[in-house]
Amino acid sequence: MSDITAVTQSHAWPKLGLRWTAVSTLLLILIALFLLSLTLGSVRIPLRQILVILFGGEADKATWTTIVYAFRLPKAITAVLAGAALSVSGLQMQTMFRNPLAGPFILGINSGASLGVALVVLTVGAAGTTLLAGLGLMGGFGVVIAASLGAGLVLLLVLLLSRYVDTMTLLILGLMFGYITGALVSLLLYFSSPERIQAYISWTFGSFGGVTWGQLQVMIPAVAAGLLLAWLSAKSLNALLLGETYARSLGLNAQRAQGVIILSTAVLAGTITAFCGPIIFIGVAVPHLCRMAFRTADHRILIPATVLMGAIVALLADLIAQVPGSQIVLPLNAVMALLGVPVVIWVILRRRNLRSSFAGGQ
Amino acid sequence: MKRLTIFLVLFAAIFVVAGCVADVPPTAVPAEAPPEPTAVPPTEEPTQAPEPTEEPTAVPPTAEPTPTVEPTAEPEILSENLTGSCVAEYDENVDYFPQKATVEYASGYTIEYFNNYKVLTIPLPWQGAEEGVQYVLVQCGTPLPDGFEDATVIEVPVQSFVSMSTTYLPYVDQYGLIDRLVGVDNASFISNEDVRAKYNTGELAEIGSGGEVNVEAAIDLDPDLIMTSASGFADFDAHPKLEEAGLTVALNADYLDTTPLGQAEWGKYLAAFFNKEGDAETLFADVVAQYEELTALTADVEERPAVFNNTPFDGTWYMPGGNSYVAQLLADAGADYLWADDESTGSLFLDFETVFDRAADADYWINIGFFATLDDLAAADERFTEFAAYQNGSVYNNDARVNEFGGNDYYESGAANPHLLLADLIKIFHPDLMPDHEFVYYRQVK
Repeated sequence: MSDITAVTQSHAWPKLGLRWTAVSTLLLILIALFLLSLTLGSVRIPLRQILVILFGGEADKATWTTIVYAFRLPKAITAVLAGAALSVSGLQMQTMFRNPLAGPFILGINSGASLGVALVVLTVGAAGTTLLAGLGLMGGFGVVIAASLGAGLVLLLVLLLSRYVDTMTLLILGLMFGYITGALVSLLLYFSSPERIQAYISWTFGSFGGVTWGQLQVMIPAVAAGLLLAWLSAKSLNALLLGETYARSLGLNAQRAQGVIILSTAVLAGTITAFCGPIIFIGVAVPHLCRMAFRTADHRILIPATVLMGAIVALLADLIAQVPGSQIVLPLNAVMALLGVPVVIWVILRRRNLRSSFAGGQ
Repeated sequence: MKRLTIFLVLFAAIFVVAGCVADVPPTAVPAEAPPEPTAVPPTEEPTQAPEPTEEPTAVPPTAEPTPTVEPTAEPEILSENLTGSCVAEYDENVDYFPQKATVEYASGYTIEYFNNYKVLTIPLPWQGAEEGVQYVLVQCGTPLPDGFEDATVIEVPVQSFVSMSTTYLPYVDQYGLIDRLVGVDNASFISNEDVRAKYNTGELAEIGSGGEVNVEAAIDLDPDLIMTSASGFADFDAHPKLEEAGLTVALNADYLDTTPLGQAEWGKYLAAFFNKEGDAETLFADVVAQYEELTALTADVEERPAVFNNTPFDGTWYMPGGNSYVAQLLADAGADYLWADDESTGSLFLDFETVFDRAADADYWINIGFFATLDDLAAADERFTEFAAYQNGSVYNNDARVNEFGGNDYYESGAANPHLLLADLIKIFHPDLMPDHEFVYYRQVK
């Protein structure tokens, strides 16, 4: 293992200290945004009152305490978790496949989740019990469990296959899974009533606002475990960047390393998709933003950086989707794509040689 | 070349066989098989054979109790509208519509009577429509009036009818018109038992709705009239396609009327197409009398409990505006609707915390959507349990009459029966005022 370190260190990071400064700056921005998202909402609550509430004091109005604790805090935490988890899984997939287009869902994990949700939302109740009973499952853990099962099933398949085929084949198989599940979902949609279709489509919009404290108790440990796995894979990821064969020649057990990476990605992306619906864009874009901003391909920097940057982007997108000062809420994915894509295009065009990021990081 | 010929022959053979299959009479279809609630009806679905529709000028097949009045040479005064038959000998001096509808509460349409025709006008057929629609209803057996070349002319009384919304069915039933109903958009959501029975015997065709309307099935039915609502969005509207196919379509904008009695008065609109104004006037007068009696009960109540509505959908809480239908019902029921100060007639799009801020201490929570029990609410979002109304068990839903496919009678017959809705609501907010009333549409959520 010491060999790997030697290789990656051969790229010498003269500004290593500066990078950690940058990471701390990101952390400060994140904290500021987090507080901002607790302050801004459709109900106007003065900043002083927010602070009073956060420090356990009594607000002027009793409902304000509930609003901050039951609505704004879980939503802000969810946004942070989702942004961090999706960005890190995107980073891992881009490195593992050495493909800048890869994202957290490249292995078909969200397709699995969406099939699970479609099965619950579109068919439960239709077969036997009443419609009401079927819809009672929605929004609660029913959808979450279905999405997790779907994502988990795809994960198992991918893990199993990854022992026999190379990463390129895996990439194509992931795509194929996506097509199959997409076809099954559209068949289910075809035979469903409009209310159910609406309920399913509503899930695909993605949102952070529906996650409650009860759900966070599952989400926080799952995301923490996934991030820990990712952090432990940092060195393997650095090695994989040089190519599977090369990594192997460095003594890396490529298969096991890939297994850990896939597991981490699936846990992270699967959890977020289960609770928030498919959140696009962050997972693909944030790793690029971080590589450009930090000018490194070292995952020991990139992982913490993507965690922070992902959380920041998610919080920011959610803040904008809330349209502060108004009472309307825009679809999160739409906001994310509309605002994020131009930024990413600008960054990529400025950098021009994207390839360099995937060849050891100059 | 030979191969091509074989291919063509095969193709033709398949076509012929398919044609035969499609001609199998509807009795071959098991009557009990529940229809799949498909959102997109397959266009190739073999349609059920329509009832033989007579030419409008022919003597109608339905034996109406009303005696056929045939005007003689002497100008005669009719005492009733011709609800089942045509005029045999036209006399321009005869008023063929002695029973007229007067529109008092509905603001969405007007009706004007002439000797042998009537003109229905909807100034705003859908929200944001640029121009109104006009229908000239001509008594059959009498000549078309001049000056309406551009308007849609419909011969009345209509003998075969397709209803594209369940809200028309209560009137169809009340006016004794179920035997003239030949088709609906989607039978799954229908609650009316007589209409369901007719569907179950295979006598009612389904033609789908919106942009996916099955035009072929509609043409096959060849009804005198298709009544539908319109939204102005091509994907959701059936009438452009149906009209293009040469079918007679009348729009109905009942849902745009924002008062309970106004919506209920759309029964007269439907009645006009069947010359059933007599029945419509009597029934509506009764509804008004009962509604006003109930309003009088709550006029002086001292305590008006605070009420809020609905549950959020995909993060947005649709709250009826302060001048909406629901708001007026709540005011008449002696409740203090928390968004009554709002000016709009449509819905407000609020987010959860806005609603919570205002309604956390409200006394009652009604119309909660697809949630069957308090546990369902808590499972969907534990923050629902923070409402005082939830903690006190003061949650009521309008889903007491939901059929096996999820069709809710509240949305079908509720608009036609505002007095029943009001009675239910008064029983919720002021149970002592309605000791003997049994809930019709509402139930307490437990």
